[in-house]
This record gives sequence, structure tokens and C-alpha cells, in this order.
Amino acid sequence: MLTVSGLTRRFGETLALDDVRFEVAPGRLTGFVGANGAGKTTTMRIILGVLAPHAGEVRWNGTPLTRATRRSFGYMPEERGLYPKMKIRDQLVFFGKLHGLDPDAAAERVDKLLDRLGLAERAGDMLETLSLGNQQRVQIAAALVHEPVALVLDEPFSGLDPFAVDAMADLLREEVGSHVPVLFSSHQLELVERLCDDLVVLSHGKVVAAGAVDELRGNGRRTTVYRVVLDSDAGWLRDVPGLTVKDVDGCSAQVDVGEPGREQELLRAALVRGPVREMTPVRPALSDVFREATSR
Amino acid sequence: MSDTQTEPTPAVTPAVTPAVTPAVTPAWWLVAEREITTKVRDKTFIGSTVFLLLIVLASIVIPALISGSDGPDKVAVVDPLGTAVVKRADQVAGGGAYEARQLAGVPEAERLVSDGDVDAALVPGDGGYTVVGGSEVDSDLLASLREALLAQQTERNAAGAGLTPDELRAGSGLTERLLDPGPIPPLVAELASIGLAIVFYMTALGFGMMIAQSVVQEKESRVVEILAAAVPIRALLWGKVLGNSIMALAQITVIAIAAIIGLTAIDRDDLLSVIAPVSGWFVVYFVLGFVALASLWAVAGSIATRQEDLQSTTLPGQMILLLPFFFSVFAGDSAKTVASFVPIASSMAMPGRMLTEDVPLWQPLVSIAILIAATVGLVAGGARLYERTLLQTGRRMGYREAIAQKAE
Repeated sequence: MLTVSGLTRRFGETLALDDVRFEVAPGRLTGFVGANGAGKTTTMRIILGVLAPHAGEVRWNGTPLTRATRRSFGYMPEERGLYPKMKIRDQLVFFGKLHGLDPDAAAERVDKLLDRLGLAERAGDMLETLSLGNQQRVQIAAALVHEPVALVLDEPFSGLDPFAVDAMADLLREEVGSHVPVLFSSHQLELVERLCDDLVVLSHGKVVAAGAVDELRGNGRRTTVYRVVLDSDAGWLRDVPGLTVKDVDGCSAQVDVGEPGREQELLRAALVRGPVREMTPVRPALSDVFREATSR
Repeated sequence: MSDTQTEPTPAVTPAVTPAVTPAVTPAWWLVAEREITTKVRDKTFIGSTVFLLLIVLASIVIPALISGSDGPDKVAVVDPLGTAVVKRADQVAGGGAYEARQLAGVPEAERLVSDGDVDAALVPGDGGYTVVGGSEVDSDLLASLREALLAQQTERNAAGAGLTPDELRAGSGLTERLLDPGPIPPLVAELASIGLAIVFYMTALGFGMMIAQSVVQEKESRVVEILAAAVPIRALLWGKVLGNSIMALAQITVIAIAAIIGLTAIDRDDLLSVIAPVSGWFVVYFVLGFVALASLWAVAGSIATRQEDLQSTTLPGQMILLLPFFFSVFAGDSAKTVASFVPIASSMAMPGRMLTEDVPLWQPLVSIAILIAATVGLVAGGARLYERTLLQTGRRMGYREAIAQKAE
């Protein structure tokens, strides 16, 4: 369990982080979202000890994070970078050793990873001769090479095509298993929605929402908005008392029934007029949650 | 604002103790190792080292080859007295210096001079003899001939007056006695001391720039962020300093071996016996002088953000080497004595002094003690600046700004 508690950080007069606190649970992908400049990268750099906080601390399983523990973390910084003029196998082995692997273990692990990433044939090539997508793969390999106990990935999927995103996500799931906490930032909300178990929303240096993605989207509670598809024009819904019609388009409409349970009344009223082809609860998309949370 | 996320976590989290494998190899050594292996595989680096080596060998061997193939200067003469004068000049010069070539007449002698077959001609002229040359006459040759002719004719005139050559020269002998003969001939010592200063300057500058480049490359490629997250920043610095110091030391060792091979090849073992012990001192001075500056070179890299910034950020480092270099090569003796105690300058001045004069042992010892103190201070200061500036990737900083930076 990685716990961020009360992180505060200023850059000159600007308050970049204001009492930021959240948790990243083992075995769960935690999405870290926020507008540009919200403080995501600053938070991640503090977790990795690259930047010092002005207040607050990062805890690992309840105790303050030490350098030795950080050494066993995997990190993918926002600004990508490895050694352009170094053979990819050599540099991955180097990173493995830097993170505390012995040379043989590092070499074995790197060969396995390169094989898994389909880069085994390029092992002896300089990084700079690889395509950008492949460089990104190597970058992820560099974060995974030492079988990290926790992963902090800053925009790991930016610049990848959808296939590569899926491949990377599979790899991540496979590598992290059930015990590694993963924090990854992204501004591709649909991606976060699809991949993440938990979510932390940051706005202007503050956490404005945090929790399981499903809960934040309001699954199983509160949803009073329904989409209704009828056989004939749905315009009459506007005249039903107690119903807020958000949108009508020919036979379909989106309505808010006001309070849970009243959707049954709506259904009955509609059936009296003719067949009902469809009636589904509308859950807010993550982008709605995000917009709502950050606009507060 | 929520305190923590709402997702319930299992009551018993799997025992995730960080797999802190005891560091098999210290981080600074891993960094040093990477510096060395990447450099050794770098074709540009290997090329420049081989080139430097060839220059050192050539500068030792070629002068010897040229002077060896030269042979005696040839002087055309047209009468017996001319032959006698050239022979006498040759004797005075120790033999093998001048050779007379008897010719039939002046026109023929002049033709040989024009053709370059002889270096000069000695022909009878107004009130004595004339030395005929092409565009010029070598001043040594002219002086030797003048002296020989004077002696020859004075003796002949004296004989006419009834004096023997010994009577003529009685009391006029002049010999040389040196109270403080240098270890080796002054000119050679001078050249060798300049050579040592050049080797120090070139190697310290070359590897210094490499440290700066290596640092800025890591900043430019952003890999520094991963490195800094994995190991202490100081370990990065020590690794770089150590790796490049080892490379620099290896390079001057190779140069020294090349010089020794060169001197042996041209049969100058006499020089070798003097230069070898000084080389030992030189290595000590080199290592200390290089390490003293190494962390400053690293700072030159860490306050830059791109390769192009190095031109300006390495300027102070270049000056710290260049000024003492000129000083130790061109300054007068007393100034050199002072320089041989000033850190960095001493690395170039003291070994040079040890070649050109007899330096009492306490002097290099004191000078090295001062250098060690300065090295410790510079390395500590450099390390602090390096730590504060390495992760600032936004823009290039000045030294003053870097020093003013607060520790975070």
C-alpha cells in the first residue's frame, strides 16, 4: 500500500500541491487524472524522491518511504528518456543493476522482457535506431526490469496507437499481478475508464475526487436519468408532470425521473401509449465525473 | 475533499516487503563502469586516442630521424687553406659537423652552392675569405668558419713573428664550469616540461569536457530522472568522476609508455633515467589536479540543458586550465616557483620545474598537500552544486545562480 499524505509543495509563489492525500492499493491500477498543471507530475516526482515536498510524506505499508524501498520502485517519468546511443539490452541490464539486481539476474530478466515485448531481435541495436513506439516499449521495460514492488507511470500510454495501448495494458496487468500498487497518470479519460480500478482526480493541486471508478460513476445508486426509445414520437413526455426532459429526438428521449423508483411510473405511462423499445439508466461517463469534480 | 479513496482494501494485504536485494555492486561503480564501457566502444574516442598517441611518438622519433640523416654540412673550397679552415672548424665542433669539398675554381663552387649540392663555399676574397651562400648562410656555420679562419691566420701570422701557437695562446684559454648543472640539457628539459604541461592540459580538458557532455546528455535525454529516482545523485557524480579519472589515467599511462618506447627507440636512455621519476610525480599531480576539477566539469554539465550550452558553461573550467598552462610554460623562474604551489597550476608547473632544476623534496610534498586540500574543497563544493542543479531541466543556469540556489 502506497500512501500519499498531506503533500504540499510550492514553486516560488505558486502553490503546486495543497495537502494532497490518497492511497494506491496493491494489485490495483489507479488512474491519476487532472488538467495540465494540476500537479500530477509534481506528486509523482515527490513519490519517487526526485523532488522534495515542503510538507507531508509518502508512506509505504505504513512506514515512511526510504531510499532503499524507492530503489525497488518502477518509474516512468513524464519526459521519456533513456540513453539514445546505448544498445537496448545493455541499458536495460544497466537499469536492472542500478535497481539492485545482480548482473546475471538482470541479464536473464532483460532477455525475458525483450522477448515478451517482441524486441529480442533488436537487443543489440542502439535505442535511437528504434521507432518511437518501440522506444516506448523499451521505456516500459526499463520501469519493469527489476520486478518493482510499486509502479509510478507518468502518462505511460501517450503516443501509443490503440493496439500498442492494449499490449502495454496486458503487459502491465501481467507484471503487476495481485500485489503491486500502480499509479498512472493520463489525460485520456476513456483509457483510464477502461483500464483503471481506482481513480484520483487532481485539480489545482488538490484532490477533488478519489475512489473506485465504478463508485465514482455512481453505479448502483442515485442514477435517475434514463434513455427511452418508443415506437412513435416521444414529444408527449414533456407534458408529464414531475419529469425533466433533457432531450427529445424523434422516438427517443433522455429524461430525469427526479428520484429512484419513479422510473416505473414512467414505464407504465409509456406502455399505455404503445410499445417501449428501450429504457436504460444513463450513468455519467468518467469525463462527466471529471468535469464535475474539477469545476467545483 | 476526500481523505482516501473509498475502495475497500483487503484486511490482510499480501506481505509486500520491498525486494531490496542487497546492492550487489555499489551504484557509483555501476555508473563508472557504464562511463568506461560506453567510451571504450566509442569509435571517435578510440580514434582520437590513437591520434594523440601517434603525435607523441612522432614528436619524439621524427626529430631524431631528421637530425640523424642530416650528416655534416658540406663546404666547397678552392685552395688548401680553405680545406684547412673547414677541417679546423670541424675539429672545434667535435667532428662530423663540416666537410670540405675541393673544387677547381670559384665559378664551379658558386654553381654547386646555387644547385644546393653544398651548403656554402669558402673562397678567397677581399682582405681574406668570403663565404658564399644561396639565399642565406647558416649562422652557426658562418661563426664556425670565421673563428677557424681567424685562428688559422693568426697562428700563421704569429709564426711569421717567431711565436709558436702555444706561446700565442698563452693565458687566453676560456673554459666553462657549471655550479648548478640541470639534470638534463636545458633545451631538452624545457621541451620536456612544456610537453608534460601540454599532456596535462589536453588530457584534463579532453576528459573534463567528456564529463560535462556525459552529464548534459543524461539531462538532454531525460534519463537523469530515472537515474535520480534509482540512486543517490552523489553516486552519479562519483561514478562519473571515477570512470573518467580512470580513463584519463589510462590514457596518460599509455602516452607515457609510448614516450618511453620512443626514447628507447632513439637510444636516449639518458633522458629516460631523468624523465621516468618525474613522470611518477606527474601522475600523482595529474590525478589530483584532474579530480579537483572533475566535479566542476560535472557542474558545467548540470547547469546546462543542451549540448550547445556547454560552450559557455565550460568556459570557467577551460580558463582554469588555460591560464596556468600559459603561466607554467611561459612565465619566468620565480613566477613558476610560485605557480608550482598554486593548485591546478602546480600540476603543470611542478613536474616541469623538476625537469629543469633540482627541486628539494619538501617542495613537491607541500605543493601536493595544498593540492589535496584544494581538491577536497572543490569536490565538496562541486558536489553540492551538482546536486542542486542536476534536475533543473527548464533552462540553462549561470554559476552565480547555481551557487545562490537553496538546497531543497
